[in-house]
Amino acid sequence: MRNLKPGHITEAAFWLALAGFFYAKSFGFDREIEIYRFGAAAWPRALLLLIALAAVGQLVRHWLIPAPANDRGVSGESEAAAAPAAAGLRWHLAAFFLLALPLAYLVVPDWAQARFGLDRPALHALKLAAAAALLLPYFAVVRANPVGVMLAVPVFFGALMQDIGFYVLAPLFAAAVMWLMGERRARLIAAVAALITCVLLLLFVSLLYVGLPAGNISPFYEIGAALVNFLQ
Amino acid sequence: MEFFANFAGGTAALFGDPVGVLVFAGGVLGGMLFGAIPGVSMLTLAAILLPFTAHLSPAHGIMLFSVIYCTGVYGGAITAILFNIPGAPENAPTAFDGYAMTRNGQAGKAVGAAVMCSALGGVVSALVMMAATAPIAAWAISAFGPPEIFALVFFGLTVAASIGADNIWKGWLSILAGLAIATAGLDPVGGIARYDFGMPYLLAGIHFIPVILGFFAVSEIFIQAEKKSRGAYRAPELSVNFPTLAELLAHKIAVARSVIIGFFCGILPGIGATLAAFMGYNEAVRWSKRREEFGRGKLEGVIASETANNAATGAAMIPLLALGLPGGALTAMMVGVFQMHNMEPGPLVFINSADLVWVVFAAMFFANLSILFIGYLETKTIINLLRIPFQFLAPVILLLATVGAYAVRGLTLDVIAMFAAGVAGFFLRRSGYSVAGIVLGLILGKIGEQVFAQSMQMLHFEWSGFLGRPIALALIIAAFLTLITSVYRGLGKWRESARHV
Repeated sequence: MRNLKPGHITEAAFWLALAGFFYAKSFGFDREIEIYRFGAAAWPRALLLLIALAAVGQLVRHWLIPAPANDRGVSGESEAAAAPAAAGLRWHLAAFFLLALPLAYLVVPDWAQARFGLDRPALHALKLAAAAALLLPYFAVVRANPVGVMLAVPVFFGALMQDIGFYVLAPLFAAAVMWLMGERRARLIAAVAALITCVLLLLFVSLLYVGLPAGNISPFYEIGAALVNFLQ
Repeated sequence: MEFFANFAGGTAALFGDPVGVLVFAGGVLGGMLFGAIPGVSMLTLAAILLPFTAHLSPAHGIMLFSVIYCTGVYGGAITAILFNIPGAPENAPTAFDGYAMTRNGQAGKAVGAAVMCSALGGVVSALVMMAATAPIAAWAISAFGPPEIFALVFFGLTVAASIGADNIWKGWLSILAGLAIATAGLDPVGGIARYDFGMPYLLAGIHFIPVILGFFAVSEIFIQAEKKSRGAYRAPELSVNFPTLAELLAHKIAVARSVIIGFFCGILPGIGATLAAFMGYNEAVRWSKRREEFGRGKLEGVIASETANNAATGAAMIPLLALGLPGGALTAMMVGVFQMHNMEPGPLVFINSADLVWVVFAAMFFANLSILFIGYLETKTIINLLRIPFQFLAPVILLLATVGAYAVRGLTLDVIAMFAAGVAGFFLRRSGYSVAGIVLGLILGKIGEQVFAQSMQMLHFEWSGFLGRPIALALIIAAFLTLITSVYRGLGKWRESARHV
C-alpha cells in the first residue's frame, strides 16, 4: 500500500460511486424494445461497468507502480508544485461549498414560494435577499481562496442571469473576473468592464440580434429592456 | 482535369462571395491569434464560435473551422518557440528546440522556420486531401455498413484513449465518461427516456455546445487563474527576424520526411496532429548524424515538428468528410457544425453537397498559403497583440462563451451547465484526464450506440457476425493491437520505474 496516496483512493471512489449511482438509476428505464433485444439499458450499463473497471485498473496501477517524480497524478502534482494555490482537503471543501451556493439560489426561493405561497413581489424580494446573503461567503474567503472563488463566481453569474439579466450582470461580472485575476486598479477595471460590455452588446444585440436574458426582477428587467430598445 | 475544375469552382465560390471572404479572413487571423495567445488555444476560439455557425451557411461554417484548424496549428508554434508554452499539444515538440533557439537569441529564425514549414506541410497535405477524399468516400458508400462504422468508431476511440491522457486508464475513463454523458436523453433505438431525473432539460439530452465551451474555453481561464495566483503567468516579449531560404533548403529531406509522417498520422482517427508532431520530431532525431544537438536549439527540430503537424490537418479531414468520423477535438466540433445545420458528415455529403466540400478544400489550401504571407507580414503585429494582459482577456472570453451557450437554445440552464462543465474540466485536466477524449466520446456516443444497435439487428444478435466482414474484422484487430501496444508500453514504464526503486 506504500504507493497509494489518499488522492488515488478518492479518485477511484469518485468513479465507482458515479458508476454505481447511474447503474442503480438505469433500472428506471430498463425496458424491452420490441425490435432490439438488448433494450435501452444495455449500452449505458456496459459503459458504466467499463468505467468501474478502468477506475479499479487505475487504482491497481497506482498501487503497484511508484509514482515517478514527474507524474502529474492527483497528489503528485500538488506535492511537486511549490506552494500550490489550489490543493488539500480544506481547499477542496471550501471550493465545493462555494460551488453549492448558486445551486441553493436556484432551489431555495422556489421551494419557499411553493411552501408558503408567496406572491411575485415577495418572491423577488426573497430572491434578491438570498442572492446578497449567498454572495457574502465569497467576500469572506476570497483572500484565502481566490481560485475557489474564481471557479464559483461564473456559476453564480449563470444562476443569477435568469432573474437579474445579462445586461446588468455582464459589467459587474467582467469587473469581478478582472479583480480575481489580480488587477487592482479600480478605475481601469471600471473602464475595461464598460468597454467590454459596450462592444459585446453592440456586436451581439445591434448587429447579430442575439436575444439575451433581460431578467425578471424590477428594476433590472426595466434596465435590460430599455437597453435592448436603445440598441436595436 | 475534373480535379482542377472542382478546385477552381471551389475557389470561385469561396472568393466570389463577400461573406465567404470575410469568414475566411476572420478564420485565418482568429486561428493564428488564438493559437498564439498563451492561455487560450484555437479550440477556445472554435468553441466560442460554434454556436454562431448556425447563422452561417454550412459551407462557411465548416470552412471557418477548417481554416482555424490550419492557422491555429501554426499559431500555437509561436508561443511554443517564444515562451515554451505550446499553444496545443501538437506544438509541444516544437518547443523542445524552438524555445532553446529563443534562449540562444535565434527566436526570429525559429518563428520564420515555423512559418515556412507550416505553410509547406499544410499545402501539400491539402493537395493530397483534395485528390484522395472523394475516392475514399465513394468506396466507403459501398463498403461501409453499420458494423464497419461501429468497428471504426471502436478503433478510433482505442487510439484516442491511448494518447492524450496521463495513462491508459485515464485515457479510457475520459472516453467512457464522454460516452456515458451522451446516454442522457432519449435512447436512439426505442426512444426511451434515460437519466432525465424528471427534468425536461435533461430529457432533450445534454447539449454538446455548453460542454465543449466549458471544457475548452472556461476551464482554460480557470487553469490560468490558478497559475496566476501561483505567479507562473508571464507577459510575452520578443522581436522577429527570418531565416534565409538557403538555410531552409538545407533541410529539404527533413521536410519531406515530416510531410509523409504527418499525413499518415493525420488520417488515423484519434489524436492525429499531436502524434504527427511527436513522430516527425522523433524520426528527425533518429535519422540525424548529430543527435546530441537536438533539444539545444537545432533548427531541424522546429522544422520536423511544425511540418508534420500541419501536414496532419488536411489528412484529418479525410475520415471526417469521407466517413463522418471525427479524429480529434476540433474535427469533433466540425461534426457539431454539421449537426447544427441538420446534416450528417459522411460519404453522402459528397453526393448531396459537393460544392460545400470544394469550398472547404479550397479554403484549407489558401489558409495554409496565407500562413506564409501573414507570417511574413504580420507576425510582429500579432506579437504586439499578445501583450494584452490576461486579466483583461479572461472576462472577454467568459462573456463570449456565455453569449454562445445562451444563444444555442435560449436557456440560462445551458449557461450554468457550461460553467459547471468548466469547473469539471478544471479538475479533470489538473488530474491528467483528457478533455478532448471526453468531447470525442460525447460526439461519438450517440453515433456509436446507434450503429451498434443497427449492426446487432443486421447480424441477428450474433457477435461473430463482425468477424465475417473483412473490413470490420481488420478494424477490430487494429483496435485490439492498439489496446495491447498501449498496455504493453504502460507495462514498460512500470518495469522502468520499478528498476529505479
